[in-house]
Amino acid sequence: MNKPHRVLLERIAGYADEAAAYLRRRRIGRRPFARVYWSGGRSRDYPATTKTGRSLFLAAARLIEVGVERKARGD
Amino acid sequence: MSGEGGPLTATRPAPSAEDAAAAVSRMRDMSADLRGCAVLRSDGEALAASGDPERWQEAAAVLLGAADLAGEGQVDSLHVATEDGEVFAVRHRDLTMVAVSERFALASLMLFDIRTVLRDLAAGRGPAEGRV
Repeated sequence: MNKPHRVLLERIAGYADEAAAYLRRRRIGRRPFARVYWSGGRSRDYPATTKTGRSLFLAAARLIEVGVERKARGD
Repeated sequence: MSGEGGPLTATRPAPSAEDAAAAVSRMRDMSADLRGCAVLRSDGEALAASGDPERWQEAAAVLLGAADLAGEGQVDSLHVATEDGEVFAVRHRDLTMVAVSERFALASLMLFDIRTVLRDLAAGRGPAEGRV
């Protein structure tokens, strides 16, 4: 029979493995999206093929550039 | 969120640039995945930003304008995930925070952090008072 602390360690390692697997699946399976929320809990996804979706992705890309520029300067 | 109370009034003056800068700094402390963020007033002017405020202001105006033009009224918040990073925007009363994070940042945590910081800023609470 395993010592009690080994049981605990194995359980924690099991949880960590599960979490790592979840994050791996999330990275592989996730696609770009644009999601907008309104008050009252309404929300809607805009695919990049729509006019609004295209505008949102272009605007987001510009903002990401601004963030990257800041990071590149090492601020 | 935006339903909590009305716009800022004379009894609750708009936050100063210093308060907004403190909020940006707090946001950077709270969120490990954050690349940068900016706090904007309702007229779109950047009160504070982690980089060049004018660039943030311009880029944020385009994003929020595109979202508002979606046709269902003024948006409450938005999340755009791309291959290069993620963008979040949240409105609270007369304030808006726009944030850029690393890819795969946990959206619920980012939105929670942004809302917490914005709510405290709008209420005139400092970081220490705002923490639970």
